[in-house]
Amino acid sequence: MTELLQNLIDGLGRGSIYALLALGVAVIFGVMHLLNFAHGELITVSGYVAFWTISEGWSWYLVTPVIIGTAIVTSLVIERVAFSRVRGSSDFTLLLTSFGVHFVVSAIFLLYVSASVKTFSEPGWVANTFPVGSLNIEVYDAVVIGVTLVTLLATSWLIQRTMFGLALRAAAADFDTARLMGVRSDTVIRGAFALSGLLAGIAGVFWLMRSGHTTPTVGITPMLKGVLAALIGGLGSLRGAVLGGFVLGLAEVLLRSRLPDSVASLTEGFVFLLIALLFIFRPQGLIRVAHAERV
Amino acid sequence: MAEPRGPNAAHAGMFPNLRRDVAFPIVGVGLLFGVFVAVGLLYQNSFGGAGERLVTTAMINAIIVLGIQIYVGNTGVLSFGHIGFGAIAGYTFAIFAIAPAEKIKRIPDAPLGLTDVDMGSWGAVGVAIAVTVVVAVFVGIGLARSGAESGAVAATVITLALLFVTHEVARHWPELTGGERAGLSFRIGGKLDTRVPIYLALAGALVLARLFAQSRRGRLAKAGREDDLAARAMGVNPMVQQMIALLTSVAVVSVGASLKVYETGSLLPEDFFFFFTLLTLTMLIVGGRNSVTGALFGVAVITVGRELARRMGQDGFEVFGLGLDSEPLDWIFRENLQTVFLGVAMLGFMIWRPKGLLSDWEFDDWLYRRFTRTQSAPPVPQATMSDESEARLEVSDVSVVFGGFQALSQSGFEVSSGEVVGIIGPNGAGKTTMLNVITGLVPATSGQVRLNGKELIGTPSHEVARAGLVRTFQNLRLFGSLTVRENVEVTRLVAIAEHDDRSTPETDVLVAAAGLWDHRDRRASELDYGNSRRLELARAAAARPLFLLLDEPTSGMSDTESLAMVEQVQTMAALVGAGVVVIDHDLDFIIGICDRIYCLDRGSVIASGTPEEIQADPAVQAAYLGSSAS
Repeated sequence: MTELLQNLIDGLGRGSIYALLALGVAVIFGVMHLLNFAHGELITVSGYVAFWTISEGWSWYLVTPVIIGTAIVTSLVIERVAFSRVRGSSDFTLLLTSFGVHFVVSAIFLLYVSASVKTFSEPGWVANTFPVGSLNIEVYDAVVIGVTLVTLLATSWLIQRTMFGLALRAAAADFDTARLMGVRSDTVIRGAFALSGLLAGIAGVFWLMRSGHTTPTVGITPMLKGVLAALIGGLGSLRGAVLGGFVLGLAEVLLRSRLPDSVASLTEGFVFLLIALLFIFRPQGLIRVAHAERV
Repeated sequence: MAEPRGPNAAHAGMFPNLRRDVAFPIVGVGLLFGVFVAVGLLYQNSFGGAGERLVTTAMINAIIVLGIQIYVGNTGVLSFGHIGFGAIAGYTFAIFAIAPAEKIKRIPDAPLGLTDVDMGSWGAVGVAIAVTVVVAVFVGIGLARSGAESGAVAATVITLALLFVTHEVARHWPELTGGERAGLSFRIGGKLDTRVPIYLALAGALVLARLFAQSRRGRLAKAGREDDLAARAMGVNPMVQQMIALLTSVAVVSVGASLKVYETGSLLPEDFFFFFTLLTLTMLIVGGRNSVTGALFGVAVITVGRELARRMGQDGFEVFGLGLDSEPLDWIFRENLQTVFLGVAMLGFMIWRPKGLLSDWEFDDWLYRRFTRTQSAPPVPQATMSDESEARLEVSDVSVVFGGFQALSQSGFEVSSGEVVGIIGPNGAGKTTMLNVITGLVPATSGQVRLNGKELIGTPSHEVARAGLVRTFQNLRLFGSLTVRENVEVTRLVAIAEHDDRSTPETDVLVAAAGLWDHRDRRASELDYGNSRRLELARAAAARPLFLLLDEPTSGMSDTESLAMVEQVQTMAALVGAGVVVIDHDLDFIIGICDRIYCLDRGSVIASGTPEEIQADPAVQAAYLGSSAS
């Protein structure tokens, strides 16, 4: 029982980060029908900013807003340079464009920085734990879960209660009609990329705090987790993306602790297998989104 | 009707037209192969050892890229997973081909006693193909379940996940794969000492890729690529075609991957991962993914481009003989310039030329057009066929509810062979919903659709089409990048497979009867509105249906065009012996063409009868004519 509870808390901590990433992926999918394989690059860029600022002796409290700002700006720049030019193209083109962006960004760091791992110090409290009953809770997990909940609530308010949120939802439901109703496509798409960058920035802070290093390809794993979580939840559904993130986090932690030691290193493989099974039985993901196609 | 199979029987085979689909492609790829190899040999003769290696690698890459093209080009589904399949094939090949004496150094404890297996290279290639194809069957089922269709996002993520799974397994299962650092290796000198297997595999891959694209299967797959829903409505089941394309494609990739492993002499997880995926996909995209010629061309262009980038990275600008000192720019020309080059090439092509350099141009297709005398006069439609089989479509009590909106309530109509029945009604009356229910695109809440007494509710769309109900689309869903003739031919192929006992009119006859003879070799996407509608009609008729279901065939047409359409619909229906159900707003058109008319209003049938009766009916005037006449 204790072990299960411990797993649940670990899983929620991990799932929180995935949920933030997945939500960013889902927001962009909603307005552009683009599955963003370059989403992880926001973390790659943030990772180098963290490395440079921390080697200058900045504290994490100062670095955090810088990272978030960097992610937002990077997201907007990528939109401006690449995605704005392929708006309305086929899914095939959109997917490959984001794939190309991923490679160009990581190659730029390969060229100008180097392939080697750049490490930086994590904040001191990351490894601390505090006891609750028989459980040992990491301060890090508690912070991650808390901040994620606040972020999700704020995002939910933004999407449900503001004009921007209304435009975003309208655009996700039917972009052309939304435009006819006076939604400015530039505003809503850039807003979506900014929001996606903000969410990735917060996730990135947590990701980097824990890993303490960056490389040109550090973004691949978070990208994959975010994309898979969004898909598990049901592409296009924002709630589904958050749910998918938590499900993926819990599945990983539970599998890793339950699998025998000899195959524990293959956890990722087993998670993929589970996801494959999910798709075979529930192809639309956990939350179905109606894709009305006019015929 | 026990009619002899006649000329159509020959067409029912794998290839619609032997000269165009087999002879010319083989000659064409033979020439391409010759040019590719000749350029390679010229290059290696000028650059020696390093050049030789570059050319060998380019040829092996070409095999793998052609393999990917068979799937991506014909189905339109973007796959990141083919290099994952390559990894499976590569490891299987290495494990079965490496001599036990060598294997014991890296993987002494391989599961299933694989350490002691010694099959030799040829046997190992066979095992590699078999294992990979079996995995591909399961992946293919997953893709089909996820609703893989052209450009389907979920399908792409599944293929990406496959790439990651194989990579994870390769890294974390050192007992089998030698792990992340050591990997597997052949003894020194285990490299290919002759290029003959590579030449054979490359030629084979070219022929297979071209023949698949021209085959019946390939043509049906391409229809699904262009428009999944329309392909289903014409009786094509894209899932079957996609699975066959996937297995063919994976088999070719397996051969290429085995050669790559053998040639390299070693195997690490990184060899078949992101970078190789980027490389092969960029080659495919830059050349033109829908074309075999393009895929080969892309391999050549990217190989040359990468080599230039690599040399610039090493030597600075001296390669161009500009005499510039590379010093100030040195920081930019590092070895990673290759990756930047590939990423930028992919990005640039997606933004400015997403269909690649050659788009869907094929060398042998160009040869065929050059060396085949074109028939200038349109063929005369044969004498009207008398259709002896009496068919009857009965739609009764159909109700459809969308959320809280009752789109249809207890509506229905009946039609028999030889009849033309019209359904009219104001916007939102439920006319198109009725067609969607009949053709299996929208589930009915209740009701029956019977064709010759057989219930069709719940039947998948493509089976409804094969049963004999084929529709057109109000909002035009042609196979855009196929030509007018090819659009008609695809559905005709389905018809031939389905009823080879009934003679189906030739493609050219149907094209001429629709008034599209002058546009026969143009792409469907280039047609204007009226011609697109006529092509919709011809394409549906080519399926040789019992009933043609026409969804607003005259919408957007001028009055003269509408009048001409009356005649075209009648000719076409007579040509294939089909009854007609037609939905339209245009009352003159409906009255001009229909034997009987049903009037729908807010989901219910409010009147039915001959055109005269309908025009006189007060309920119709109130609901429809009254509002539109004012």
